Amino acid sequence: MDGERLLWLATVVVAAGFFAFNVQKFTDYLRLGTAPEDRTNSPLARLTNFLEIGIFQKKIFRDSIAGPMHAAIFWGFCVLTAGTVEFIVRGVVPSFSFSAFLPHWLYAFYLANQDLWGVLVLGAVALALTRRLTRSVRRLQGAETHPNDPLLILSWIGALMITMFGMHAFELALDPTSPMAAAPLSLNMANALHGVSEGAARAGLEINWWLHGLLVLGFLNYLPYSKHFHVVTSLPNVYLSNTSGPGQVGVMRAMDLEAEDVEVFGAADVQQLSWKNLLDGFACTECGRCTAVCPANATGKLLSPRKIMINVRERLEEVAPVSVGGGNGNSEAVLGKRLLDDYITDEELWACTSCRACVYECPVSIDQLEVINEMRRHLVLTESRFPEVLIPTFESMESRGSPWAFDPGDRARWAEGMDIPTMAELTERGERPEVLYWVGCMGSFDERSKKTTVAFARIMQAAGVRFAILGQEEKCNGDPARRLGNEYLYQTLAKDNISMLDQYGVTTIVTACPHCFHQIGNEYPQLGGNYEVIHHSTYIESLLAAGRVPLRDGETANAVRSFTFHDSCYLGRYNDVYDAPRDTIRRALPVVRMQEMPRSRDRGFCCGAGGGRMFMEETTGTRINADRAREALATGTDAIAVACPFCMTMMRDGVAANGASTPVYDIAEVVAERLD
Amino acid sequence: MPNVLVFAESRGGALRRAAFEALTAARSLADGGEVHALVFGAPGIGDKTAELAKFGAATVIVCEHAAFANYAPESMAATFAARVQSGGYKAALFTASAHGKDLGPRVAAKLRSPIATDVVSMKWEGESLVAEKPGYTGKVIATVVLSASPALVSVRPGTFVAAQSPAAGNVERISPASDPSADRVRVTETVVGDTAKLDLGEAPVIIAGGRGLKEAKNFSLLEDLARAFGNAAVGATRAVTDDGWRPHSDQIGQTGRLVSPDLYVAVGISGAIQHLAGMRTSRTIVAINRDKEAPIFKIADYGIIGDALEIVPALTEAVRAAKHGA
Amino acid sequence: MKIAVCIKRVPEMDVKFRIAPSGEGVDETGLKFDMSDFDGYAAEAALQIKEKQNGGEVTVICLGPDTVHETLRKALSMGIDRAVQLKADAVPVDAWAIAEALAAELKTGGYDLILFGRMSLDVANQSVGPMVAELLGVPCVTAVSQLDVSGGGVKARRELEGAAEMVECPLPAVVSIDEGVARPRYPSLKGIMAAKKKPLESRPAQLGAVRMTRRGSALPAEHAAGRIVGEGPGAVPELINLLHTEAKVL
Repeated sequence: MDGERLLWLATVVVAAGFFAFNVQKFTDYLRLGTAPEDRTNSPLARLTNFLEIGIFQKKIFRDSIAGPMHAAIFWGFCVLTAGTVEFIVRGVVPSFSFSAFLPHWLYAFYLANQDLWGVLVLGAVALALTRRLTRSVRRLQGAETHPNDPLLILSWIGALMITMFGMHAFELALDPTSPMAAAPLSLNMANALHGVSEGAARAGLEINWWLHGLLVLGFLNYLPYSKHFHVVTSLPNVYLSNTSGPGQVGVMRAMDLEAEDVEVFGAADVQQLSWKNLLDGFACTECGRCTAVCPANATGKLLSPRKIMINVRERLEEVAPVSVGGGNGNSEAVLGKRLLDDYITDEELWACTSCRACVYECPVSIDQLEVINEMRRHLVLTESRFPEVLIPTFESMESRGSPWAFDPGDRARWAEGMDIPTMAELTERGERPEVLYWVGCMGSFDERSKKTTVAFARIMQAAGVRFAILGQEEKCNGDPARRLGNEYLYQTLAKDNISMLDQYGVTTIVTACPHCFHQIGNEYPQLGGNYEVIHHSTYIESLLAAGRVPLRDGETANAVRSFTFHDSCYLGRYNDVYDAPRDTIRRALPVVRMQEMPRSRDRGFCCGAGGGRMFMEETTGTRINADRAREALATGTDAIAVACPFCMTMMRDGVAANGASTPVYDIAEVVAERLD
Repeated sequence: MPNVLVFAESRGGALRRAAFEALTAARSLADGGEVHALVFGAPGIGDKTAELAKFGAATVIVCEHAAFANYAPESMAATFAARVQSGGYKAALFTASAHGKDLGPRVAAKLRSPIATDVVSMKWEGESLVAEKPGYTGKVIATVVLSASPALVSVRPGTFVAAQSPAAGNVERISPASDPSADRVRVTETVVGDTAKLDLGEAPVIIAGGRGLKEAKNFSLLEDLARAFGNAAVGATRAVTDDGWRPHSDQIGQTGRLVSPDLYVAVGISGAIQHLAGMRTSRTIVAINRDKEAPIFKIADYGIIGDALEIVPALTEAVRAAKHGA
Repeated sequence: MKIAVCIKRVPEMDVKFRIAPSGEGVDETGLKFDMSDFDGYAAEAALQIKEKQNGGEVTVICLGPDTVHETLRKALSMGIDRAVQLKADAVPVDAWAIAEALAAELKTGGYDLILFGRMSLDVANQSVGPMVAELLGVPCVTAVSQLDVSGGGVKARRELEGAAEMVECPLPAVVSIDEGVARPRYPSLKGIMAAKKKPLESRPAQLGAVRMTRRGSALPAEHAAGRIVGEGPGAVPELINLLHTEAKVL
């Protein structure tokens, strides 16, 4: 073995060793997260995610400019990595080649592809660099980002490509019979080198070869010190992401409040997060897609989901060396700090509407919302620190079973004269309903929402559905408390409701509120409440499809000919219900025109009420509901349709804030208006 | 012959309306007996007794002391209690004002007497005084029986409208039963003026505006109306405070102040749940709104449909006229 | 500094009350109970004073049957140190009877400051505090909206009609708290857990003689909502008339 090969071998061993050391350190860091997390289930779903989101870049393509650019670099990397392996081995064993075990044509095809992807990568890198240097892309801005890092990385990748081509060209120039002749660009470049002397060509090869080799190994070892570690972490992160599917995917982490001797609830620092939350931090490459779709951020609030993840990474990198060992200077000062307050302020956390747009948009399946939720839990449960305006909400939920201070005795007032039995009455008569109608607090107390409540009840009556309500026995499902971090209050309410529902033997529940729907159907199972819960959009649609609802023909009373439907987050991104409400409107009004907003369905923009924001002030920036209403009004629609009482109140207010008087209807009202 | 002693409240050297209300209320208890008024104040307050006679004080007991320029609860309570005892009164009466509510229980404590606060009606039943008073934030009226003599009562302000009924008004001067300058509780300063703007939580009347007022400057109409009432504060909805038309401290609703005034006038407010949660327990609700479908009308006792910018000035005029007529 | 806070357990007020079959008081079935609002301010004020002075002990005292344990636990969950129940089958309406029971407990406690809410929300007689002060022979300041406890004395502000007065008195003292002093903190789960482990003292209440009783209770006349008086400025005279004669608010 000659000296050069020995030198290369030694370089590779040192570089690989150093990289392995960093990977080991990094896995030690992840182990600091103590919140329990199991991601070994459903391997098939994980593989599907890995292929769809990871390999086929499904989420990446949601951005039509950056999508193809990134895909070119990513796929190029996949192809070129095989070549890099061949390159590294050949540096030690010159006779090594994939051609030894590949048919000639396939090896030639592979070499040609290497060329092709090399060009694509180079092109994409050039575009990306130009874009970063000459345009100010809003998504890529932000105080929390590291703008020089991508410039370095992109240039590095460019240099890798250039040295690769240089290496291939000189190789071909020296040996025109090399299989590399199958690579068209390299061949052309070799032809251009025709007049170069052999000595110069050999030197050219040598220089490019070593440059390329050092760039490769350097790149590998730079990654752990850069946000571009994401090259290593993102595919595992996608594989390990939450696979629970529609409904379950947005469920908050279960919490055992009975556990003895627990002093700290929720997360104030990275140790109280899970290893997956920490891995999320390392998987983030600061692309900003989450922040770009965040309704709080878009309207000028302090919250940036990207910053949350960057902060998790930064804090972990700060505290882990002290905790894991290996030290880093002033350990007392480091341990005196924490993720909450020193990195992430409560103002950021309270700005979140829990709309899941960030989680949905992330190309590498990061769950920003889980970190926010856990930190809110800490604020409320451990420190009792939250906006003072929430006190009446919490107290009212506790004492009256509703976030608003209304008399529980008035819950069923809307049903007066409608001949709707309560569960108590039916049970006394020894009867059981087909479904239980869970009305919800908005539907019970908000004058506007009561119209929706009545409309849905009338539809079910017209369809001959035997249903009952709970009347005074119904209590808030607890969702606002849970989203606001008050898990204790949530569990108190949820357990009360579950024991009451179980006492009546309830199996099927319908509701017009997406929050009740999601909470009871998807989160109550954590506390032992298992019911089939159907949102009224799906339920009415199925009644209409079955021909059970007698509708009349002719003009609508209010001359509405077009609708724009505003998606509720808890129906859409939480539960994948997008078509049912739209189909319900179409079935009721066959001639109606549906005018979609630019941000609709899984890109739907929150109304601003979720995550308990309904019960807080919105004083920073513009108002989310006003923004959303402006978007709806811009479609020129006759009316706005919603399928959520919170969206209803926010959209109505937003329309008024825009000085317009476009009506807002719940889909149940649209159908009820057509009842024969 | 039941004799009743009344605390004739003064502040800054002038008698307060509370004194005349208490005198009026006391006449219904005197039942042919005499009503006496005890007035505390800095030297000079004794010159104001003629007014008390007009409202039915057969005797005006004047207790002057330089320290009485401010409220002096300990000395006043001792003096008042001593007088109740020495005068053999069957009942003593206060108005449930800030001072009346403070002094009444102190006197009761010294006399070991029962006291009923915030009374809206009262009568004798034999030797017992039977009174009605609101409790449970005004949602329940309790009938209480005070079965010891003397019985003490403070009457709810505004319930017994001061009415004249001239009496002799003989002036009797007394000295404080204890030296006010030796009091442990000392009022060091009476701050006048800075609370002229009534707090939303305290105001008996609230005029609240919403987006139906169209622009921030139209809130001046509500301020005019509040001035016409004289005891009103101006509030707003969240939409309006979020838009910066009014300060956030003016917000009424789930995320603002929770209020429960005697009269709530909602102007250009549609009645979103967030707002209703903060004011629905108001005793009387008036709504003015253009949209007859507005949810606010569902909970309002009285509604007027129409343009607030036309209706409010008319209402202001009418209230002003009604107040002056009364 | 040793601080006592005297609290009362009362029903939640945001409901439509019914009168009990006996006619004497409200029907308590189905009602939720909690610390009376102003007592909550007093408890918070006590905690803030303790925190500001970096030490001391806050004791909460509640008169009533064993149902008050829940209310005392709530106070403990806010961070109050000790809880005492003065056990009685029922809480009398007579303030003096209550004051004697409280004074008997308070006089041996060596308290520097005894706080009350301005009034209880149910009976709303606002007289127990001054009576306790009289029985203990200590000064009393009622209905304070601002409170500063330092240097062995109390400095407070009281709101008057269209004015305010600044009051001072030496410690020990009884002070009753109006809203505005401090909004009660919301107990953290940590606090709730800790409260479960704190002991709860209970002794029989030594109630005083009762000279004021409640004979009956009634609901104020209710008029149906939703009445439209008319349209436009022309409806104003009728509205004024209704406010004057029916609602009696003018």
